[in-house]
Amino acid sequence: MSGTGVEVAGLAKRFAGVDAVRDATFNAHPGRVTGFLGPNGAGKSTTLRMLLGLTRPDAGTALIGGVPYRDLDDPSGTVGAVLDIAGAHPAMTARGHLRAYCALGGHAAANAERVAEPTGISAYLDRRVGSFSTGMRQRLSLATALLGDPAVLVLDEPSNGLDPAGIVWLRTFLREYAASGRTVLLSSHVLTELQYGVDDLVLIDRGRVTWEGSLAEFTAHGTSLEEAFLRFTSDAAPRTAPGASGAPIEGVRA
Amino acid sequence: MNRLIRGEFAKLLGTRLPMWTLVIAACSGGGLTGLLALIGPENATPPLPGLDTAEGVGIVVGMSGLLLFAPALIGTIAVTSEYRHRTIGTTFLTAPRRGRVLAAKLVVFGVLGVAYGVVASLFAGGAVALGAAVQGVEIGVPPLVLVMLLVRLSLAAAVYMILGVAIGALARHQLLAVGIVVGYFYFLEHVLMIIPGVNAIHPYLPEGATAALTDFTFLSDAIAEQLPLASAAPTSPMIGALVLLAYAAAAACIAVAVPLRRDLR
Ligand SMILES: Nc1ncnc2c1ncn2[C@@H]1O[C@H](COP(=O)(O)OP(=O)(O)OP(=O)(O)O)[C@@H](O)[C@H]1O
Ligand SMILES: [Mg+2]
Repeated sequence: MSGTGVEVAGLAKRFAGVDAVRDATFNAHPGRVTGFLGPNGAGKSTTLRMLLGLTRPDAGTALIGGVPYRDLDDPSGTVGAVLDIAGAHPAMTARGHLRAYCALGGHAAANAERVAEPTGISAYLDRRVGSFSTGMRQRLSLATALLGDPAVLVLDEPSNGLDPAGIVWLRTFLREYAASGRTVLLSSHVLTELQYGVDDLVLIDRGRVTWEGSLAEFTAHGTSLEEAFLRFTSDAAPRTAPGASGAPIEGVRA
Repeated sequence: MNRLIRGEFAKLLGTRLPMWTLVIAACSGGGLTGLLALIGPENATPPLPGLDTAEGVGIVVGMSGLLLFAPALIGTIAVTSEYRHRTIGTTFLTAPRRGRVLAAKLVVFGVLGVAYGVVASLFAGGAVALGAAVQGVEIGVPPLVLVMLLVRLSLAAAVYMILGVAIGALARHQLLAVGIVVGYFYFLEHVLMIIPGVNAIHPYLPEGATAALTDFTFLSDAIAEQLPLASAAPTSPMIGALVLLAYAAAAACIAVAVPLRRDLR
């Protein structure tokens, strides 16, 4: 199947004495929803920022359709991203915000209204972003990500601030998005959030990818999903899993 | 590049910043200048040359040059609020080639700076004309000379706005950047102006160059009268303009180059 996939190989990043990411290697495939799961501080956000060129890796490569993000011909038409470090100006209306990023990304201005529909913010388009609730802001971020009708979606904890109905809606939306042959990569630190919504799972723990494979394979490892998760993110985690290097790791945090 | 410039314009026009910029320009052009023009410079303490002399017009118009830290501050606030509200993240995601984004930003703020200068100049020119009419005197310079003086002031405003953008891009933190701009233009340059020896470089600092550009030597003359030291003679308006443009070019290079490799947080 042709399509634009994500390939991350050997990414590493050190912040003033903290190994945020040590060895992140995984793929996200077209037509599938890939969950990027790990405890708080595991390095999920740092990995996704490196993938999108916002943070410079110390080592490794991150490719989208075989090309680094910065070198894409049409970055926002190839990848849409929801990250906590990408926001909207509070004084702008949602419509003004979306139109501005249409202009910046080289997309038709009418896309602003087009993306408001599926993300459920059509009724709020003329309100100032500063008056938005967390959930509405999160929907606006997703709408911004969709402006260029991208082949890849990269979402860092996208269900933050969404109500239960919103979470179900997002899951359905991402499933359909992937079903049309596109790639969806989303991070979470909550296992139960991913168990119904993803096809593939990538586990990261203390900066290292400890497991990669399909959700079905993952649950075959243990009696329950939770047990399997704990097994791959605890100190006793086997380092022979796919994607891990097998070498013992110096724990940074006790 | 065109699309980045259009995008940066759309980002700017979606906020209230352009409106406030023009309001501040009108106040700074009309305010101080207008007050001085209306009461008549010769009625000030100490008395200054009247509006019917070239010096009088120069001093009255040059007063708005003292408020040039305002466009610098506007540029600084605009860029640092991108970091504060994290729109810089959305921008770099949409356009990951950062150098081009910053170049587009400089074009946009250069235009806003010129708009600031034009509005400030219109109000300053209007204030001079009104002041002269109220006092029943002829303006001390031919209209073309007055217009050219105001054009030079507009140029200086655009340069200051670009300096402000560069300082904002460098510092990123809003309060820090504002502190740098106010501390420098309000305090440091004035201190440098009166330190013997060091004040020789003053004509080549932004404020000194602006004074040369707008023929505004009121402050340095006043200091020369008060202090028994050789005041650094201002350079010619042409050299003042070149010095300011060099600052703008250096600031533009810094603004484009510095964010290239930095991690976004
Ligand atoms: N800019 C930074 N400077 C210093 N340390 C950082 C920086 N960014 C991240 N870190 C550290 O790197 C590690 C990984 O952080 P990261 O934000 O990538 O984790 P995460 O998996 O996204 O966690 P969470 O689930 O809490 O969002 C943490 O220990 C964090 O403190
Ligand atoms: Mg995170």
